[in-house]
Amino acid sequence: MRVILKTRPRAKPKIPIEAETIIPQNFLRKNDVRVYEGNKERKLEDLFYITIEGPAVSPDQVEVILTGDTGVIKRVGEYMNAGRIIVEGDIGMHCGNFMSAGEIIIRGNADSWLGREMRGGVIRCEGNAAHYCAAGYRGEKRGMRGGTVEVLGNAGDFAAEYLCGGDVLIHGNCGDLPAVEMRGGTLTIGGDCHRPCGNMTGGTCRIFGAAHQFLPTFRKNGSEEMEYAGKQHRMAVYRGDVANRGKGTVLIRT
Amino acid sequence: MTGLLVKNAYVIDPLSGVNGEIMDIAVRDGKIVEDVRSGAVVIDAGGCLTLPGGIDSHSHVCGTKVNFGRYMSPEDMRAGRTARKGAMHVTSGYSVPTTFGNSYRYSAMGYTTVLEGAMAPLEARHTHEEFTATPHQDMLANTLFDGNWSIMEAVRDKDMKRAAAVVAWTLAAVKGFAIKLTNPGGTEAWGWGEDVHSIRDEVPHFGVTPAEIIETMIQANELLNLPHSVHIHCNNLGVPGNYQTTLDTINLAPDLNKDRQSLYLTHVQFHSYGGSTWQDICSKSEDIARAVNARPQVAIDMGQIMFGRTTTMTADGPMEWKLYMLHHNKWSNHDVELETGSGIIPVYYGRKSLVNCVMWAIGLELALLTENPWQCMLATDNPNGAPFVKYPEIIALLMSRKLREYEMKVIDPRTEHFVPLFAIDRELDWYEIAVMTRAAQAKALGITRIGKGHLAPGAEADIAIYPLKPDELDPTVDYQQVMAGFAKTRYTIKRGRVVARDGEVIVEGANSTIWSRSDVPPEYDLNQDPEFVKKFEQYYTVRMRNYPVQDVYLPRGLCIRTEASL
Repeated sequence: MRVILKTRPRAKPKIPIEAETIIPQNFLRKNDVRVYEGNKERKLEDLFYITIEGPAVSPDQVEVILTGDTGVIKRVGEYMNAGRIIVEGDIGMHCGNFMSAGEIIIRGNADSWLGREMRGGVIRCEGNAAHYCAAGYRGEKRGMRGGTVEVLGNAGDFAAEYLCGGDVLIHGNCGDLPAVEMRGGTLTIGGDCHRPCGNMTGGTCRIFGAAHQFLPTFRKNGSEEMEYAGKQHRMAVYRGDVANRGKGTVLIRT
Repeated sequence: MTGLLVKNAYVIDPLSGVNGEIMDIAVRDGKIVEDVRSGAVVIDAGGCLTLPGGIDSHSHVCGTKVNFGRYMSPEDMRAGRTARKGAMHVTSGYSVPTTFGNSYRYSAMGYTTVLEGAMAPLEARHTHEEFTATPHQDMLANTLFDGNWSIMEAVRDKDMKRAAAVVAWTLAAVKGFAIKLTNPGGTEAWGWGEDVHSIRDEVPHFGVTPAEIIETMIQANELLNLPHSVHIHCNNLGVPGNYQTTLDTINLAPDLNKDRQSLYLTHVQFHSYGGSTWQDICSKSEDIARAVNARPQVAIDMGQIMFGRTTTMTADGPMEWKLYMLHHNKWSNHDVELETGSGIIPVYYGRKSLVNCVMWAIGLELALLTENPWQCMLATDNPNGAPFVKYPEIIALLMSRKLREYEMKVIDPRTEHFVPLFAIDRELDWYEIAVMTRAAQAKALGITRIGKGHLAPGAEADIAIYPLKPDELDPTVDYQQVMAGFAKTRYTIKRGRVVARDGEVIVEGANSTIWSRSDVPPEYDLNQDPEFVKKFEQYYTVRMRNYPVQDVYLPRGLCIRTEASL
């Protein structure tokens, strides 16, 4: 089953749409899906042209396609546990947080909080991701716990903060403080970043660009060869953060 | 006000000696009366279990430390969100919900009176403001005296009457209800980075021992004829082997009051550990229960823990530090000048943790081994052991051996070697549950005199009607129904008004704050005492005239006045 949601023109197009109900399983039956426009509750058809093609018997077979002015839609795919969402443009904040299975593909850029505290599944963002990509919510001890987040462009500050499981791949640059408070899982940064891995207690972070202002609380521990994007790189290995009994590993291209 | 008539109610009212009679309850002007004229609103209870409104005798729902728990746990606020609906405000939070969240959830469970377990006198205004925003329960505040310097000086000088005068002045100033001692001496010692480890240890810098503080305060409490007894959180909370301290404390309690206990020990589960380290921790609930059974002058509450996440908060600063050393998560410690301290830590109690399983068993054992239900009250020390929304589960566990055996299979299998729980056959009945959730509390707090905890004519019309038919239900097997029934009342009636129906609050609340005031002779009035005034102005960062809580903070204050026998 394919559900195509195209945004209707709105009088005030900047008002964000809160759409945590846009997850594949909600389209399986003729559920009355409602979303919020600002603080007003709306029917889905008031905001979107809806086209449904084909049948489905389980949420795995449901594919939701969002097109149009999608950059103001927040919380798409929250608590998603099956199926696939394809966003043909940009996506708003909190996309795919707490998702446990399924797939989200974003053709454009993602706003902040992409895949935050995700438990499983795959998110692929073909543009850039803003701050707090694949991180944890404030106050929570553990952030992302499983699954994969791949960003083909750059990511903002605090990428993979509190990461404790799963894989995060950022092919471009990261902003300030990626992988701080990291406890597990792996983070791969294809480009440059600033001050990575502060207070890290576990997991592996690989940086194939330059790590600016790398913290002095990491202990050098040899080097190794590693392949990334079809090339061999010589990586310096660090253990830390020793300021917090750290048992994490950081690999930085030499 | 038109009357209200509850018909066909299966009433259990232990304080009036009613056990399972089908009867009608008439209400007029917020009080229970003999009968009402025709034209009254009629509620047909249809044989459902009808009890006096629930009373929680130890809970942390209002005040500065609860609020600190709220803002250090943004992740907790994500849980339990409800939208505005009718008369209900927006709520959020699970272990430390918003004040309205607390109020609605208590109301849904039929609770109409809640005692805040620890109010720092200096921060009383905040507590009273939050009481006003907890609109569906009458609130009482236990006032902390464990590290009060004036009290410590009086204890050192062995001047019991002076201690009584300080208590009387402070309770009147901060509109508190009773005396709370949290880790007496230890919290203040923590201000110097130290702690006490038994009731005979001297508190550094003060020259007194916890035992002397406890004994003096019990005597002072009776001199003031306060409604409640001294309410104590013993020393050494959560330390393996601390049951000896608890037994010593129980042994200190004299029998001074014929109407109620002389010493109330709270969350005793946290104080009943044997062994010497976390590896060999075991249950000493049998020793504690034996001591309680032998002494009618003490009452306890369970302090049951339930598995899941919650937030611990207590005035016991050193204990929270020890807990931080175990968890290495975020934590907070706080000192209240000249009075007390506090600490807050989020925790997770897991079925995989042997220590947590032993703790879980101890709470239940205390309730099952204490022969007289009037001496052991049901409480989780909300939210320290578990949020109060878990009470229905605890009730089901106490009523059904089958459920306990079912739980045994899912907890750490080693647990049974450390606890006697699974050898206990006792299953509590409806009457005992009614005692442990309202009647015993009313008696222990001394608020039966203002019509709380019973349904005799003249009492406050606080009534909870649960969708449970004791005639048709076997709680030992149908524990699921018991849980569901106690979680949502059919009707919660507060002061003659239906406030909640089927778990949803339907009106704006109008609670009162109950406080006590003991009238002392002029020579014991500390406002006129030059030495007290001088010290107050010298040590406190606030002026003495600014210290008392103004009446504006208690829009519906209800004062219990007593005459001190000084």
